[in-house]
Amino acid sequence: MTTRSKKTTASAKPRARASKPAASKPKVAEAAPAPAATKREAKRARRADLAAEPAVVAQIRELEAQLDRLIDEASRHDLSSLDAEDDETSHEEAEFDAEATLPVAQVPHRATPVAPKAAVQPEAVAAAAPAPAPASASMIGSFGDTQVSLPSAHGSAAVPPAPESVFDTARELLSSDFYLRKWGRLAMRGRSEEVDDFGFDPIYDAKLKPMLDFLYTKYFRVETYGIGSVPTSGRCVLVANHSGTLPLDGVMLKTAVKREQGDGGAGGANGRDVRWLTEDFIYHMPFLGGAMNRLGAVRACQENAERLLAKESLVAVFPEGVKGIGKLFSDRYRLQRFGRGGFIKLCLRTGTPIVPVAVMGAEETNPLLFKIEHLSKALGVPYVPVTPTFPLLGPLGLLPAPTKWRIQFGEPLDLSAHGPEAADDEILVGKLAERVRAAIQGMLDRVVGSRKSVFFG
Amino acid sequence: MVLPKRKSAFPPPPDRRTTDGDGASPRGSAAELPQEASREPSRDLARGSRDALGKAPGRVVTVTGAASFLGTNLVGLLEEDPRVSRIVAIDIKPPQTAQRKTRYYEVDFTQPTAEARLSEIFAAERTDTLVHLAFLASPSHGIAVAHELESVGTRHVLVAARHAHVRKVVMWSQTVLYGATPSNPNFLTEKHPLLAPTSEPFYADKIEAEAEMARFAQKAPGAIVTVLRTAPILGPTIHNYVTRYLSRKLVPTMMGFDPLVQFVHEIDAIAAFKLAIDRDHAGVFNIVADGVLPLSTVIKLAGRFAVPVPHPLAQTFGAAMWLAHMSEAPPSFMTHLRFLCVADGEKAKERMGFRPAYTTREAVLDFTSAQRLRDVKLLQETPA
Repeated sequence: MTTRSKKTTASAKPRARASKPAASKPKVAEAAPAPAATKREAKRARRADLAAEPAVVAQIRELEAQLDRLIDEASRHDLSSLDAEDDETSHEEAEFDAEATLPVAQVPHRATPVAPKAAVQPEAVAAAAPAPAPASASMIGSFGDTQVSLPSAHGSAAVPPAPESVFDTARELLSSDFYLRKWGRLAMRGRSEEVDDFGFDPIYDAKLKPMLDFLYTKYFRVETYGIGSVPTSGRCVLVANHSGTLPLDGVMLKTAVKREQGDGGAGGANGRDVRWLTEDFIYHMPFLGGAMNRLGAVRACQENAERLLAKESLVAVFPEGVKGIGKLFSDRYRLQRFGRGGFIKLCLRTGTPIVPVAVMGAEETNPLLFKIEHLSKALGVPYVPVTPTFPLLGPLGLLPAPTKWRIQFGEPLDLSAHGPEAADDEILVGKLAERVRAAIQGMLDRVVGSRKSVFFG
Repeated sequence: MVLPKRKSAFPPPPDRRTTDGDGASPRGSAAELPQEASREPSRDLARGSRDALGKAPGRVVTVTGAASFLGTNLVGLLEEDPRVSRIVAIDIKPPQTAQRKTRYYEVDFTQPTAEARLSEIFAAERTDTLVHLAFLASPSHGIAVAHELESVGTRHVLVAARHAHVRKVVMWSQTVLYGATPSNPNFLTEKHPLLAPTSEPFYADKIEAEAEMARFAQKAPGAIVTVLRTAPILGPTIHNYVTRYLSRKLVPTMMGFDPLVQFVHEIDAIAAFKLAIDRDHAGVFNIVADGVLPLSTVIKLAGRFAVPVPHPLAQTFGAAMWLAHMSEAPPSFMTHLRFLCVADGEKAKERMGFRPAYTTREAVLDFTSAQRLRDVKLLQETPA
């Protein structure tokens, strides 16, 4: 504790001194472009503008009076009623924020009304600058120059003033900070600023959609049957067979539901988003885990699945797991053991219907001749596949063969008759798991039996 | 952890309180000042009514590690709380926010006499609530001192607390102790064991401190024990290893890995402690912001370049950097750049009524806007 702080005190002193001359030139701050006009900063600037108008001030006051009343009531009532009111106000706040009209109601959001005193909020400093008594809550750290610099920064956020001379422009262009800010904006192109709880990124998904559509329509020429079994709302678990060395079936299943549900194909693509559960090992490997997460994959575990179903999502599971994708070519279309029936327990506990799904065609994309398991520990993969092409042609050999795919959705299986306590009945769970397995195996046998060619269907 | 922000002698200048004003309104502009005055009576009335409801009018809150970031701010908050009659600040140097209600005691937890000394202080001050914040916020090279402070120090504090019959103990812990592993569920609840590798002293000491706390809860069944596990704290004024990592021009990441990360804004973290002091919530709580972001998005929002490093290489490289005092954290923190360690804040929301005001993204943006000013030396700051 001591050693560290002393050291840093000493080292930071010259830095503080060096900052003074820079701070005495507020022109630099004004000339600098709006610090990457994020929505948040724009909002702040607007807020500052609004405060100047009397009509808006009146509105703000009214809101603050309302807020006071809420605080008074809350302090009189017990904890439970406070919570209810908190909920209401936070909803209110969400609306305000959405319209960006008067984002004043931020205070009730916090459980303790005293909290904002704690730290310096930049906007508070900016707004308070004209006031005679600077209200920079100096508890946390002396903000010193903040009052000089911040208003100018915010002013420029509203109306970016043109650089005054060539030197200003040059200085700006020579500062690394300028490029870092630009880079920050530029680099956010292909990604969303906000992802959902499991990392699904709608912008990234939209970016990759043409590629997935190509795979779906041109490469694998997927035919989908029985999409009507997939409910258009509410929680549901799709249970599918797993195959193909590379976990491509999850992505294709997601694309199938997205495209076929809704206005019935024709590239309408307004179906539901499928969140499919993947094995752990893709998170051990570089590159794969991050990309899959952004497309909507979720690591398979009970907690995650429950959380997804609690949000009424459409979840796809592959109960065979690694045994499924790592099945040899000679075992193709023969379903492996369905884990320990975890998905059945999950559905029983949450009262979720099951839709069995048979994916045909994925088995032949990378026919697995045999597996090398000695190297798996060192490489962090469950096995090293040997396909007709893989170690031979290098990474290129992992390209899937353009087989013809069929995805068949079966009749939904409603488990609500059993009730949540049935999840502890191992015998029943086993029976139900077997029933789902038999349903998928039956569909697979039928579809595979009617197929004439692996590549042309 | 310790933030020596000002060399001003203790006590601080008396005008602090007046300049602070009623900080509850984030926009304390001149136009609103008269209204502020009119608001005061009603709030006092409300406070009075609450006191009349049976809360003891004068509570004594003891804060250990009072000069740390959280400690300084909590002392400042408690100074303005009429329900708290006295604040006992314990650290090796006085908190800068101390005013007339605060009594400062210099106690070094690494000394063997700390236990007796603390016990005396608790008894003499009739401590009602003990807030134990004497932990390092960032990994340190002084492993031995850190162990004495965190693990042994926590034992000293808790033995003294049991001896003095302290009614409530609130302890700070962190969600990084859950450990980042590829088999983590996306949201770790409080029931999840603390699996961070104990080969790293930063984790080991804090896990030991939590174990001490669990033992204390067993031995002193009357006491209310609250443990607040905060996600990495981020904000415009705090300094820790996360802010230092994100304020590098070139931010090293693990090639091919992009875990979801989660932060909590400094205001929310402080508010959570205030909440735990104000009301009694026994148990362990994750204090986290809403929402998660991929690490790469965080770095880009902060306007930095990510430098992907292959992870087998990064281990040795990172160890060398740490030995050379050139990195923020030892190589054992690199698992957090590869795998998920996100905690579930649902329990704190339901049981404590904790509502984070900032999402993870907003916390990052708030940090970034301050960091940008620091980058161009427009934000003069005191060292941390």
